[in-house]
Amino acid sequence: MKQITFGIDFLTYALKGGSKLYAWLLFLGFFIMLWAYGNFTQITEGMIVTNLNDQVSWGLYMSNFVFLVGVAAAAVTIIFPAYVYDYKPLKDVVIIGEMLAISAVVMCILFVLSHMGRPDRLWHIIPGIGILNWPNSMLTWDVAVLNGYLALNLICGFYYMYKKYTGEPMNKKFYMTFVYISIVWAFSIHTVTGFLLNTMPTRPMWFHAVVPIKFIVTAFSAGPAFIILAFFIIRKNTALEIKDEAINMLSTIVTFCLSISLFLTLCEVVTELYPSTEHSFSLKYLIYGKHGLSGLVAWFWAALIMNIVAFALLINPKTRKNHSILPFTCVILFVGIWIEKGMAFVLPGMIPSPIGEFVEYTPSWIEIGNSLGAWAIGLTVFTILARGAIGVQLGDVKHSDAN
Amino acid sequence: MKMNKIIKTALSLIAVSAILPGMALSQEPAPALDPGTCFESRGTIEDGEIIGYSIRAVEEIDAPFYKRTMPNVKCSPTTGGVLWWSDPFYGTVAMGDMPVEADYTHEEAVVRPREEILMDVIGLYPCADMCHGDPEVVPVPKDRTPRVLQQMHLEKAVQPTDLKHGRGAIWCLDCHSRTNRNKLIDHRNNEIGFNQPQKLCGKCHGQIYRDWRDGIHGKRTGMWTAGGKKRWWVCTECHDPHNVQQAPVNRGFAQLDPEPAPELPKGMYNTDHEQEHGAHQAAGNGEAAAH
Amino acid sequence: MSTKDRNKSDKKTRREFLKDSGVTGAAAFAGAAALLTGSDDAEASATWAEHFQKNYRLMSDEEKKEAVARLETRYSEEYGKKVTVGIEPAIPGVLFGYALNIQKCIGCRRCVHACVKENNQSRHDENGKATEIQWIRVIRMEKGNFGFDKANMDKGYPGAKGEEYGIQVGGNAYSPVGTVLEGQHYYQPKKVPEKDAFYFPIQCHQCEKPPCVKVCPVRTTYRDPDGVVVIDYNWCIGCRMCMGACPYWARRFNWGKPNLPKADMNPDTHYMGNRPRMKGVVEKCHFCLQRSRKGRYTSCVEVCPVGARKFGNLLDPNSEVRKILDRKRVFRLKAELNTYPKFFYFVD
Repeated sequence: MKQITFGIDFLTYALKGGSKLYAWLLFLGFFIMLWAYGNFTQITEGMIVTNLNDQVSWGLYMSNFVFLVGVAAAAVTIIFPAYVYDYKPLKDVVIIGEMLAISAVVMCILFVLSHMGRPDRLWHIIPGIGILNWPNSMLTWDVAVLNGYLALNLICGFYYMYKKYTGEPMNKKFYMTFVYISIVWAFSIHTVTGFLLNTMPTRPMWFHAVVPIKFIVTAFSAGPAFIILAFFIIRKNTALEIKDEAINMLSTIVTFCLSISLFLTLCEVVTELYPSTEHSFSLKYLIYGKHGLSGLVAWFWAALIMNIVAFALLINPKTRKNHSILPFTCVILFVGIWIEKGMAFVLPGMIPSPIGEFVEYTPSWIEIGNSLGAWAIGLTVFTILARGAIGVQLGDVKHSDAN
Repeated sequence: MKMNKIIKTALSLIAVSAILPGMALSQEPAPALDPGTCFESRGTIEDGEIIGYSIRAVEEIDAPFYKRTMPNVKCSPTTGGVLWWSDPFYGTVAMGDMPVEADYTHEEAVVRPREEILMDVIGLYPCADMCHGDPEVVPVPKDRTPRVLQQMHLEKAVQPTDLKHGRGAIWCLDCHSRTNRNKLIDHRNNEIGFNQPQKLCGKCHGQIYRDWRDGIHGKRTGMWTAGGKKRWWVCTECHDPHNVQQAPVNRGFAQLDPEPAPELPKGMYNTDHEQEHGAHQAAGNGEAAAH
Repeated sequence: MSTKDRNKSDKKTRREFLKDSGVTGAAAFAGAAALLTGSDDAEASATWAEHFQKNYRLMSDEEKKEAVARLETRYSEEYGKKVTVGIEPAIPGVLFGYALNIQKCIGCRRCVHACVKENNQSRHDENGKATEIQWIRVIRMEKGNFGFDKANMDKGYPGAKGEEYGIQVGGNAYSPVGTVLEGQHYYQPKKVPEKDAFYFPIQCHQCEKPPCVKVCPVRTTYRDPDGVVVIDYNWCIGCRMCMGACPYWARRFNWGKPNLPKADMNPDTHYMGNRPRMKGVVEKCHFCLQRSRKGRYTSCVEVCPVGARKFGNLLDPNSEVRKILDRKRVFRLKAELNTYPKFFYFVD
């Protein structure tokens, strides 16, 4: 059975490495233990162990979820140029993007499970044995597109690797069909996540038509930034060749998307603050604080500064193409967008409550532990998948029959 | 059973302390009220005692709605008010002659028989009988002309110039019978029982009376269904006819103790932020208050 | 019922449920289920069967009866008294409506606490294992109190000095009086009503077009024929989409295991109404289904000391609410959102 040997060879290659790898996995393992403890506590005690409340009922989990949907979607920034423009330097590493998408969706699912009050009742959403309120509930669309996206990336990624592993020729028609579907699908996942929030007129800060497009451009800034960082690490630690052009292409995409994102931020701020209605309370609370409460102000300005600095470093070709500066740019950009999506978008949407109550929210240690742990699980999955994929790509993972 | 006695005791205590403080009656020191006691509509807790217009004692009853034995009321531990009735009709009597114009003529309407309670109190203490019931002690006034009241009335009643009802246009004997202190009267000298003050109040407050009859002013408890049995709460159960203005609140209701505020949500340690807006912050407020 | 008997009967129902509903795949969740049910034995065994229960509307009468029997046994044991769980359906020809006289409300919060007594909400917990849940929130709003003095008439932005074109923002009326979003939720004066305030109670508006129902991914919350938006607590997955979508902040979540003292528990319950909830599910006002479907006023109506609250059948032209709609000045909160609440505010 070639499928079985593929699985064994893939995992063996992925998990065989130097002390650096094991140190990394051990490091992640620590956070995974936090996650296990945190979720156990949360399941046995209830969500009372979080700092969520009836006023701010969506918090750190939802913020990370929204951000990671973006990261997942960002795989398309590799796939799209690689296949639609037939851009060779990215075609060789397309598999890394797909593995990242899979890992990001895994993290999304973990965050959703932590967010749910009754994860044991997840089966209620499965059509047939449960009820899926489709097409009415935007969340069901999100469930559908995310699972679809996971399936598409599993199919594309592993079909490609399996064929390479066995040395059999690929069914181009089959493969490309799924690739094109996954390109369109990638946009859909973040659009639908945008719709999840911006179809709630009761949360004026979210109730903006710019939300889906802003989600997409911020995702296409933070996602490729993460991929660039991954590329640097891969280049340094493995034999996989990643061309400078590939990295420069991605950083150009980041630049474009980040500039649109900053522009949309400006649009939002002007639209809200010029008339300055009651509906702008959330944004005012976020930017200046309100009624003496200012828990999110520092986060907002930090994110804005990080994004502007990143933009300044990216718009200048000299600093963008300087690969000793670029990692720094990518890190602040990634963090900046993460803050912008969570602390500067999901949270202030809940503050004030629809009937005007201002409540400040800071995540509890359990929430922080669960979030770090979910990230650690995602990074572990990504490490294993990416390492295996690199092995396949390099030809190190190969079936004995293959030529 | 026990309830009547408690109500009697409570009301007599109120009557003694409020109406006749000057009278030299030998009276035991007031025993603390049963902690299982609360008031129905308006009332308060003073010095650990529940002072209310219509007191309820907590007791186990057979509640027909629930078809089981349970307490008749649940009381608020902080304000002494009734928060929950198992049987909304417990201790009520048929309202009797309903106003024929009402839409609910066909339904069963009940009231809490306060007349009986008041009569008991008045029977115990000699307002109507010993003083005003005996022309030898207090002569029956010749007409309704306001006059200065004697000191002993002033804890409960007020001087004609101070009555917070009608702004000087009405006085005690416009509502209370000149000849029979157990009854109210209307402008045609028709006697009205204390159970149905609306017949008196409605003479002036016609618009409100109409709304009350139709159930859109005032309180009803019991069944919402068309033709369902309801307890009608009468005017004086919510309003104090001797002080309807309730200045400076001016709502027609006596002030009550509020039930406690909700628990602060996680992450909040005070409510300072709630004060930081509106009139508190507006530049003009301080001056407005001073005006 | 002894422990032995209970286990026996539960085993039976469990097996039947697995067979009937064909959800054996869901057994994968058994581990989580066991954790979620907690340590209490009576509760654990009953909740186990509840885990394989269908959505309420899809249950046959037989299954409903079984579910009710199971709950009654569990609750009776847990709270030490005979608890009944009603499943009265909507009364034909009845559409429930509510009207609140905003002019009369004195802000005493009797309704808030009467609701808690009636509907078995979680009480304050000293150890922080559960939160206090209240379905009604009364907001204190400031009365207009502008300082009409000459000193402020020409003050504002841009500054009046040297400005020949007048000021654009400011003056005496620049104070957010009468604004819901500027209200106070935690007011605690000695006496109410206060001179400078009026009060605005908010609870579930039982919308005809409820946003919460639309966003629910598993249809655990829905509008019953009498217009009440109900929740099947046993089907809720706790995603809190409804809490995000509700414009009236009517929905509450059981963050911990609800703290409901035995003595305070109201044993007269309804499946969709006030039966004790479990942790991790959403709850809200349901117009006291356990009362209203048996013809009785809701507990907030009965307790209001000023008669500001009115409840009845919107389809009956002679009902109190219909007369209010005919005769009074009525408004709906956030009418611009087109949720069509059946909760009306009015003034005389």
